[in-house]
Amino acid sequence: MVARRRKRAARNAEEVPSPPGYSAIPIKFSEKQQASHYLYVREHRVREGTKSSWPQKRTLFVLNVPPYCTEECLSRLLSPCGPVQSVELQGKPELTESSKEPKSKFFHPKPVPGFQVAYVVFQKPNGVSAALALKGPLLVSTESHPVKSGIHKWISDYADSVQDPEALRVEVDTFMEAYDKKIAEEEAKAKEEEGVPDDEGWVKVTRRGRRPVLPRTEAASLRVLEREKRKRARKELLNFYAWQHRETKMEHLAQLRKKFEEDKQRIELMRAQRKFRPY
Amino acid sequence: MGPAPAGAQLRGAAGDAEMMEPALEGTVKEGKKESSKKHTVAGSPVEGLLKPVKLSRAELYKEPTSEELNCLRETESLFHSSLLRLQVEELLKEVRLSEKKKERIDAFLWKVNQRIMRVPSTPETELTDQTWLPAGVRVPLHQVPYTVKGCFRFLPPAQITVVGSYLLGTCIRPDINVDVALTMPREILQDKDGLNQRYFRKRALYLAHLAHHLAQDPLFDSVHFSYTNGCHLKPLLLLRPHGKDEHLVTVRLHPCPPPDFFRPCRLLPSKNNVRSAWYRGQSPPGDGSPEPPTPHYNTWVLQDTALKSHVQLLSTVLGSALGLKDGVVLLKVWLRQRELDKGLGGFSGFLVSMLVAFLVSTRKIHNTMSGYQVLRSVLQFLATTDLTVNGISLCFSSDPSLPALADFHQAFPVVFLDSSGRLNLCADVTASTYHQVQHEARLSMVLLDSKAEDGFQLLLMTPKPMIRAFDHVLHLCPLSRLQAACHRLKLWPELQDHGGDYVSATLGPLTTLLEQGLGSRLHLLAHSRPAVSEWDISQDPPKHRDSGTLTLGLLLRPEGLTSVLELGPEADQPEAADFRQFWGSRSELRRFQDGAIREAVVWEAVSMSQKRLIPHQVVTHLLALHADIPEACVHYMGGLLDALIQGLKETSSTGEEALAAAVRCYDELSRLLWGLEGLPLTVSAVQGAHPVLRYTEVFPPTPVWPAYSFHEHLRERASLLPRPDKPCPAYVEPMTVVCHLEGSGQWPQDAEAIQRVRAAFQLRLAELLTQQHGLQCRATATHTDVLKDGFVFRIRVAYQREPQVLKEMQSPEGMISLRDTPASLSLEKDTKQMPLLTSALHGLQQQHPAFSGVARLAKRWVRAQLLGEEFTDESLDLVAAALFLHPEPFTPPSSPQVGFLRFLFLVSTFDWKNNPLIVNLNNELTVEEQAEIRSGFLATRTQFPVMVIITPQDRKNSIWTQDGPSPQILQQLMVLAAEALPILEKQLMDPRGPGDIRTVFRPPLDMYDVLIRLSPRHIPRHRQAVDSPAASFCRGLLSEPGPLSLMPVLGYDPPQLYLAQLREAYGDLALFFYDQHGGEVIGVLWKPTSFQPHPFKASNTKGRMVVLQGGELVMVPNVEAILEDFAILGEGLVRAVDARSERWTV
Repeated sequence: MVARRRKRAARNAEEVPSPPGYSAIPIKFSEKQQASHYLYVREHRVREGTKSSWPQKRTLFVLNVPPYCTEECLSRLLSPCGPVQSVELQGKPELTESSKEPKSKFFHPKPVPGFQVAYVVFQKPNGVSAALALKGPLLVSTESHPVKSGIHKWISDYADSVQDPEALRVEVDTFMEAYDKKIAEEEAKAKEEEGVPDDEGWVKVTRRGRRPVLPRTEAASLRVLEREKRKRARKELLNFYAWQHRETKMEHLAQLRKKFEEDKQRIELMRAQRKFRPY
Repeated sequence: MGPAPAGAQLRGAAGDAEMMEPALEGTVKEGKKESSKKHTVAGSPVEGLLKPVKLSRAELYKEPTSEELNCLRETESLFHSSLLRLQVEELLKEVRLSEKKKERIDAFLWKVNQRIMRVPSTPETELTDQTWLPAGVRVPLHQVPYTVKGCFRFLPPAQITVVGSYLLGTCIRPDINVDVALTMPREILQDKDGLNQRYFRKRALYLAHLAHHLAQDPLFDSVHFSYTNGCHLKPLLLLRPHGKDEHLVTVRLHPCPPPDFFRPCRLLPSKNNVRSAWYRGQSPPGDGSPEPPTPHYNTWVLQDTALKSHVQLLSTVLGSALGLKDGVVLLKVWLRQRELDKGLGGFSGFLVSMLVAFLVSTRKIHNTMSGYQVLRSVLQFLATTDLTVNGISLCFSSDPSLPALADFHQAFPVVFLDSSGRLNLCADVTASTYHQVQHEARLSMVLLDSKAEDGFQLLLMTPKPMIRAFDHVLHLCPLSRLQAACHRLKLWPELQDHGGDYVSATLGPLTTLLEQGLGSRLHLLAHSRPAVSEWDISQDPPKHRDSGTLTLGLLLRPEGLTSVLELGPEADQPEAADFRQFWGSRSELRRFQDGAIREAVVWEAVSMSQKRLIPHQVVTHLLALHADIPEACVHYMGGLLDALIQGLKETSSTGEEALAAAVRCYDELSRLLWGLEGLPLTVSAVQGAHPVLRYTEVFPPTPVWPAYSFHEHLRERASLLPRPDKPCPAYVEPMTVVCHLEGSGQWPQDAEAIQRVRAAFQLRLAELLTQQHGLQCRATATHTDVLKDGFVFRIRVAYQREPQVLKEMQSPEGMISLRDTPASLSLEKDTKQMPLLTSALHGLQQQHPAFSGVARLAKRWVRAQLLGEEFTDESLDLVAAALFLHPEPFTPPSSPQVGFLRFLFLVSTFDWKNNPLIVNLNNELTVEEQAEIRSGFLATRTQFPVMVIITPQDRKNSIWTQDGPSPQILQQLMVLAAEALPILEKQLMDPRGPGDIRTVFRPPLDMYDVLIRLSPRHIPRHRQAVDSPAASFCRGLLSEPGPLSLMPVLGYDPPQLYLAQLREAYGDLALFFYDQHGGEVIGVLWKPTSFQPHPFKASNTKGRMVVLQGGELVMVPNVEAILEDFAILGEGLVRAVDARSERWTV
């Protein structure tokens, strides 16, 4: 352990190694910790022609964000480099921003965080370059901004998990209203189109017609095929010709042979496992 | 780099769980070698895994030769299947003696013959004058009383003949014995030697002299005395060759009288040959009462005279019929696996050979039958006949001078006469032993008829030791107490007959006594036979009390166990006196509801576990009352493991009652749900989906009454919250209930919308339950928690068609097809499969009351080994269920103890690689379907998880083991089980008491790389630990029902929350092991592959850092920071992080 301490001290003194294109920023939970994780940061760039919703030049791409580091926290830690516009934490690198509309907290509970990647958008491009030059170590939890962990975090998580039924009701109602409206519109449209030939004179047949048609599902088509097969099988004659007789006999023999081979293999295995030593 | 190589197989548990690792089998190395040797052999088992056989068309459809056709036909007619035939052949090869060894044995025998003939003779002396015996040898017989008339001199034997199984070619390995009969010359014997043990004394002296001379011969490695079949009047001499042949053979010398020396009529079972006057040293009672008959004594003399005629009979019958010999060998293996063949009164191989001879003579067996058919016929005969009532005889002469079968029935419990018609071959077999043989034969017949795939394995290869075969086991120790029992039971004549062997004299009466007392509770009572000891020739023979312990096994009848009452006759009936006499002070007069006044015995037992132990009370009471055996001498092994599944405060129950209370509460709730008014759609089904509701939760829930002062309050949501300054509140796990709503056109057909509608139902449900029944409810989007009578239920609304909606996919052509998606699978599992399983296992519990105990003990053990989270609850429950549904070759367990032992046995021996565990719930799978599943399994092995459990509801996927365990974890469990089983069995078979029964429940901790020690303050289930702490923290519970207006803290378990965080953040780097029942330690194992340095990759930086190594930039885990993270993430919970850094290097 001592040797390792010394090694670490030596490592701190020299330049922290970082992969090409990235710079490493040490990050610790608080003053008390001795070892630190390293954030690997670089400017967010994409190849020509690839679409990315993150603004070029102003976005900082951060790897290896420790689990106790939240979005607010990261924003606070990087704000000395320049005003931060937004921070988004993700499980793995993705080029596009997640859908704009916020996911319902009732139906999509937050997952337990692990190590994450972050896209930090600064208001100005020089924020990125300032961040790249950061030396650290960054402290996640300080006296002025304590971050909860352990028991305290679990208790507050538990309190958050107790949902407000009224808010849930309101959300459900609004969603269902919109959904009903959408369905009603679609139905009205379908009704309008029913029985009306299109430009080339084709009429669309739907389930709602007077004579319902077979639904277009896989199960239904399989059923039809099966019925056909059975019909054909019924018409065939079994063991009528001599060659048929011969073939069934041969088939039986082949089955026995196959079984025999399988059994021999089993025995071989059992012998290898010494399964025949009774005691 | 990477962790040190020293460590368990577990350590290999790096991400590659796609396929079975070769590490799964202990014999891998061998397998590998073999496979490399014969690379060309098609389908040779590579790494112990069966591959589907692929034969070319040409090979499959070539013209058959007549030989092949014959072989196939024979297999079909003589054996059950080709597999069975091959298996039987292999087994015979394994136990048969090889020709080479036979030659060596023959050479040895010839030398023995010579040496014996060379032993010098001695002058004649009185029998009581034994001074001529040299100092180095003792007479191998208890000479009580010592004085006896007659003279003895030694002369070389008149004839030396090999008798027994060696000659017949039916002896089996290991320990080959060759029986040699030495015919004593007529000059040694005198008239009336049959009387008063004179013959036996001479026999013993003959052996002593022989032993003295042979012991000096360098040809023999060891010369010992032993008893013939454990009969202590008949010693025999064991000779083992010297040198490397030491274990080759044991030659047993049996002296026997010259032919026609004894007059058979004097040795009939009704005759007396041991005079009371001589034996008891007193003059016979003057009233002229006849001397008691000595049937056993007579039989032992007769046995010696018949040695040669028996071997002649057997060799004419078995002679050239190979099938019969095979059959005898198979039967011997069968008996030996059941521990039936050894000791005095064992059902020996000789008896079975004679039985085969009998069946041949009655034409039940034919010479041309195969070994398998002989086995089957003999078992069939044993299963269907009762020799205790209708004896059989090999003698077909109608000589009127021969005694009638009835005479023998009077003297012996089991009757099977030899060809002379005078000797009962089963004389020493007790009724219990015979019933055990019958029971085993019946079980085996059922097994053979069921056409089970692995019948051979279960029938002939699975050992059935007493501790694993019987529900309860009790040891009587010390054996000297039985001497007192003899006096109490007035067994003087028997003692005289057995020559003072009080153990075998009391066995019969004792077992009858207990059988009568246990009555309807008992299915079968078996006793161990005292082991046959061996001793050096310079020592006295071991005393009776030194012959180990007497062990009794009880096979219980579950339906008889529920009653606490022993109903006797009405008080004025004459039988009442007998009843009172039998039960002694426990019998009391009672008036019953129907007005009858009867004698009755009532046992104190309230809970299920106490009722299971009523046999203990019965046995100790009866033994003390009738046999003068105090309670301290009865060591009863029945409920020792119960302590591990007992609740914290309840020591009288193993939780069945608490579980039943929870299930009752659930039933009430489901009635409320059915009758709920005001729901837009009616409830179509309410199903339980929680271990409590199938009786398999290790620690059943108790009603909770939280102390409000202990918690933070969240008034507007009517909930309690944990307080950071207090110890963690009690852990309350809500019991999941699935509530199906009827289908209707009103349901939307869109997954998102269905979710919203369900949420609306959850809200409505909470509202209605509060309004109509005043229950405290809390609704969320996915479930509604309901507090009822202190139990918390989590109701999940389900819509039957939702999984289908999730599965629907539209192809470009507009065809709608159904494809499984992760979401649909998990929903199906939760709302369909889980309730089905729960109800099936609930049913199983009604059928087998011990199921709950077994399943919970099993789960408890797996969790205590820190492996609980790698196995789903359901998979372990199903393994436990398999013990009840497929108990072969045993019967379904009736006590948790034996069930747990069999669980360990199953886990440690099951070949998961090549077999699915089929759990035929409700018997829904037919034999054909099972065979189909098995063959399909081999063909598609790679698509299945490591551990495959098939149920009628889940024939293709093995859903409960899809997400684990990994091969390494399963292997670890097998290793642990294989270690635990012998330890536990030894503890339970130790008559001095089991010692610390919790030993096997304590996990080994030395294999972990890091130990995270937790503070008990925040472990809510701290008191459930295997070694329950004497004191723990207050968990904020009231002992009495309090107000129920606020919802208690639900599912808040800091260690679990901590583990979830650890696994999410460091799951790529390490494995975490924890016992959820009060574990104070989390074991961490680094994954070796993640310690391999690898080049930088943006998608794989979690917890790693870049270092310069050999001029290259590579990534390695940032172990020091991670260790500190362990403490940070678990702040308040973690007490210390012990890094055993000597175990790895970075």
